[in-house]
Amino acid sequence: MRPHRIPPQILRLILLTLAIVGVYSVARYFLTPASFGRYGWYRAAALGEIAAYPPDYAGKAACAQCHKDKAEQIAKGPHKALSCESCHGPGMAHVGNPDVKLVKPAAPLCLRCHEANPSRPEWLKQVTLADHYGENCLECHVPHQPNEAP
Amino acid sequence: MKSPPTPAHVQPLNRRRWLAVLGSSLAGLFSLVPSRRAEGGGRERQKEAAMPDGYDPTRHRWLMALDINRCIGCALCVAACKTENKVPPEPTYFRTWIERYIIRKPGPGSGELRGSTIVDSPNGGRDGFPPSAIPRDQILRSFFVPKLCNLCEQSPCTQACPVGATFQAPDGVVLVDPHYCIGCGFCIQSCPYGCRFLNPNTRTAEKCTLCYHRITRGLKPACVEVCPGGARIFGDAMHPLPDDPLSEFVAKNKVQTLKPYLGTGPRVLYAGMDKEVR
Ligand code: HEC
Ligand code: HEC
Ligand code: HEC
Ligand code: HEC
Repeated sequence: MRPHRIPPQILRLILLTLAIVGVYSVARYFLTPASFGRYGWYRAAALGEIAAYPPDYAGKAACAQCHKDKAEQIAKGPHKALSCESCHGPGMAHVGNPDVKLVKPAAPLCLRCHEANPSRPEWLKQVTLADHYGENCLECHVPHQPNEAP
Repeated sequence: MKSPPTPAHVQPLNRRRWLAVLGSSLAGLFSLVPSRRAEGGGRERQKEAAMPDGYDPTRHRWLMALDINRCIGCALCVAACKTENKVPPEPTYFRTWIERYIIRKPGPGSGELRGSTIVDSPNGGRDGFPPSAIPRDQILRSFFVPKLCNLCEQSPCTQACPVGATFQAPDGVVLVDPHYCIGCGFCIQSCPYGCRFLNPNTRTAEKCTLCYHRITRGLKPACVEVCPGGARIFGDAMHPLPDDPLSEFVAKNKVQTLKPYLGTGPRVLYAGMDKEVR
């Protein structure tokens, strides 16, 4: 019986296919990051990298560690739900080094929350600057306890 | 007809030899598999960044809820988000933003109960909202709606990504791997909520990460931290704290999601939403 022969052009195609698959597998092996596929079709190491960014806002609890008086004062008044950093800005740098000064806000910030605006919910106390007592809010309101006069 | 004679230097390839060649090639390929399985293997160029404090992403399920009645439109959240996440200051680059909805009174005799709806968001609200040009007596209702990534269960953005650079982490947060993103912008087009943008400096897609670098450290997202009215409620659905604000919010309110008819399965919940909100 004649030995079964594979035609040479088919053989070349088979070898070429195997070579392509082989090169692909080797390239994939070296190029795929190790953590790819741990949780899904993505690089699991990205989670740790994204989590490593440094925060700018420290949180109210951090401020209360050193400014206990202010935290207690604010908890007594209507501003109790406000975070220190809503008014004073991002404080991480100040927490690390108190010499870094934070902003001491003034009237424009008060008005950002309190200026009368028909889109605001009714529960919020709002003022129209022209009808209220004056522009310098801090003359009559303690920012940390706004129902008190200084 | 006779077949041409085989040249002497070409060995006839019979079935036996052919099978041997195939077998050894396959064996060679599969020998790569075990070393691939061994994690690390010295191939990751730098050491894998560790999670802060042994944070385990499989043990959390983060979620944000928004109470429209509590939003006063100060938009300190927008400013805080831009600072915290180094989002470019120009308008159109936002990870979160505030929309102002104004529903006019209907014209007399129009047969409608509500007039037209006007939506605006000057610079995303970053500088606050000036009183609108529409006089108060023409306004039927008006309110602010905070927007952010909706943390979809069937997220179109992660399905559109051709390289596996954006994904939903086990803790429910949809993230973009900045080292893997090729900046093609498919995800930006596929998000029906408009929550993504192409960062002009890095040329990669960016979006709300729920402040992943903060929540993995036990801090609140920056927008939640600075919100004065309690409009943004943040929590962990897998391990709620005893006085968890999120559980309380869900128990007290009738909640909805944005564009539920798209089948994206958004997980971000809204309370007090009007039918005009999209
Ligand atoms: C490590 C302790 C510490 C922490 C934490 C801390 N502070 Fe301070 N802070 C100080 C000290 C000390 C001063 C006084 C510095 C001075 O007067 O020169 C100060 C001063 C201030 C001032 C006044 C600055 C001025 O110009 O007079 C403000 C406002 C302030 N802190 C806000 C904050 C806020 C908001 C936080 C939370 C993000 C915070 N602090 C966290 C120690 C701290
Ligand atoms: C409503 C906005 C607001 C909030 C919230 C707020 N502050 Fe202030 N804070 C101010 C303003 C305005 C001043 C400046 C007062 C002045 O100039 O007399 C100030 C001043 C300060 C000072 C300087 C000392 C002083 O009394 O003048 C410290 C320290 C301070 N704040 C800490 C805090 C801490 C800590 C918190 C969080 C518990 C906090 N603040 C929350 C508005 C705020
Ligand atoms: C981040 C937003 C925000 C800022 C900034 C802010 N407030 Fe308030 N304020 C509130 C909220 C929220 C309340 C509590 C809700 C209410 O009672 O209206 C409140 C309550 C008050 C009240 C008490 C109203 C009442 O009788 O119940 C006064 C007065 C007040 N603020 C004055 C000020 C002044 C003055 C400033 C500037 C130093 C200021 N607020 C800055 C959000 C803010
Ligand atoms: C000259 C003193 C004075 C100044 C300046 C002043 N206020 Fe007042 N404010 C008062 C008094 C007094 C009240 C008590 C309620 C009333 O009479 O309306 C009050 C009440 C408020 C209330 C509560 C309103 C309500 O409906 O209960 C808010 C909010 C407020 N002020 C914000 C501000 C802001 C913001 C500024 C700065 C633009 C400011 N105030 C400047 C004296 C002042």
